[in-house]
Amino acid sequence: MMKKSIPYCLFLLVSLWLFSCEKADEYSSAPRENFEALWKIMDEHYCFFEYKDVDWNDVYARYSVQVTDTMKQDQLFKLLGEMLNELKDGHTNLISSFDISRYWKWYEDYPANFSEDIQENYLGTDYMIAGGMKYKKLSKDVGYIYYGSFSNAVGETNLDYILMYFKDCKAIILDVRDNGGGSLTFSDRIAARFLDNKITTGYILHKTGTGHNDFSKPYELTLIPSERVRWLRPVVVLTNRHCFSATNDFVNKMKMMPHTTVLGDRTGGGSGFPFNSELPNGWSVRFSASPMLNAAMEHTEFGIDPDVKVNMLTEDMQRGKDTLIEAALQLIERMNIKI
Amino acid sequence: MKRIVSLLIITLYLSSSLAAQEDKGEQPWSVNEATLVGAGGYNIKDTYLSPLKYTGWGMRILNERMKMTRLANYNVSRQQFINLDLAFTRNPAETASSFAGFADYSLGYHYHFLPDPNLKILTGASLKGLFGFIYNTRNGNNPASAKAEIDLNLSAMAIYRLQLKEYPVTLRYQVEIPLSGVMFSPHFGQSYYEIFNLGNNDGVVLFSSLHNKFGIRNYLTADFPVGNFTIRAGYLNSYYNTDVNGIQSHIVSHSFLIGFVKEFVSFGGKKLKKTNSYNSAYY
Repeated sequence: MMKKSIPYCLFLLVSLWLFSCEKADEYSSAPRENFEALWKIMDEHYCFFEYKDVDWNDVYARYSVQVTDTMKQDQLFKLLGEMLNELKDGHTNLISSFDISRYWKWYEDYPANFSEDIQENYLGTDYMIAGGMKYKKLSKDVGYIYYGSFSNAVGETNLDYILMYFKDCKAIILDVRDNGGGSLTFSDRIAARFLDNKITTGYILHKTGTGHNDFSKPYELTLIPSERVRWLRPVVVLTNRHCFSATNDFVNKMKMMPHTTVLGDRTGGGSGFPFNSELPNGWSVRFSASPMLNAAMEHTEFGIDPDVKVNMLTEDMQRGKDTLIEAALQLIERMNIKI
Repeated sequence: MKRIVSLLIITLYLSSSLAAQEDKGEQPWSVNEATLVGAGGYNIKDTYLSPLKYTGWGMRILNERMKMTRLANYNVSRQQFINLDLAFTRNPAETASSFAGFADYSLGYHYHFLPDPNLKILTGASLKGLFGFIYNTRNGNNPASAKAEIDLNLSAMAIYRLQLKEYPVTLRYQVEIPLSGVMFSPHFGQSYYEIFNLGNNDGVVLFSSLHNKFGIRNYLTADFPVGNFTIRAGYLNSYYNTDVNGIQSHIVSHSFLIGFVKEFVSFGGKKLKKTNSYNSAYY
């Protein structure tokens, strides 16, 4: 009996092993295969098709006919980059070892509204640095903070020292121009210093499936006032079109603060939380995957308008003046008169 | 599913209720312990991170303990596994890499059948907990896929004592299949930022069973004496496949292991002083 069962046991054993072995996917540089893979990744994961009214099947039809088996790598890259740019999304890039495709029209077609050389006329060289922030008193009444990237960490202690340094000032100018984003953690951390009551700042959604409209219920995002040093006096936030992603999120929050005025140009947007994926030839793709809405449940993907629209004036720039900082100083002066 | 679980529990209960009928506990039962280290190939795919399969190699350390219990008149053994493995893999184009680490512990009980003096057939169940991660070095906001789960497994084992002339070799084959449990998984396009930083963790712990998870662990070992030591050489094949919230994950590994076996009596006392012999759950 036992001897008879041994072959069956061996058969079962071998079957289990064969079943559990699987061949890895192989590298493919075939243009068609990579085109199909990219289109499918975006089709299943990209989150703004409906909001942007993009017909992705139409995009397939238009670009598929341009893919040939004899295309060179750079030609394929250019074509796929153009296909992604149909989405008009600053968070969407194709990344290879030799190039990065990008959509930068959200600031390229607009005035810069920021010049580091002119900013130096205000900051000088004797400014202080705490974490990723540069700061200085422009006068005895006005403090100035420049935060150039949400990728540069700002600690709670940094913020304590900065705000304490301005304790005798009547207002702060918080300049986030040319800040292309970074960590949302710092957006919350900084905004919480200007808040007096808990507020709903927006909502986040995620995709629950591969359909273009397969989204979760909006999840409420709240901001709680910091328990450390807070600033509940006037703040003017300076913005330009380069304010993107986490900076866009920060401006969304700051616009809701009772003592804050956003001054400058519309922000660049970028409200989709980006994910990464990759193609069979090893190129990486980044795309907006999870939309974040403002408190009114509206998209801010294409930017947030300022409370006070101000552009840099050529004549000011020629005199070394920053129109936005000057406008902020005048605004603060008017506020102080009212106070 | 409930029937199978109930059957397992009833089997264990009935086995334990027979304990009083015949006492095999006169002679002390030893603990069979083995610690093995090994290396082998890994094949990992997690569509939360990438649609491609990453391949590479990994290292593993495995500790195993087996001892008879009083259940069913010393016919049920307890087996504990502690497994740690770390894998380094690359995408097919070799333009990106990932690290994966897993730690699992399982506690199993097996009923022993002795169809032949040289053969033991063990069947039973085990409870297994696993924590792990797959970290893709190139991804930004979806850099890692976390694994956390508890499973009830079906487990079977065959231990065969072989005599190659005068040289004793003990062969063992064990297979384990997860039956049901709970596991962590983000939703299809949900970021870990949303789950952990913003606190939206609704629905991230799910019931798992054969409809959304299939795994199998094949473990083959050979014990042979070298001088005063017993060496255990083994091959471990682990296949893990889940399809949860639209995210497919699969981890396949083939590891070759080697280590030492230790047979000891953990608490001797007076009983041990009376005799120099003891019973092993394994040999």
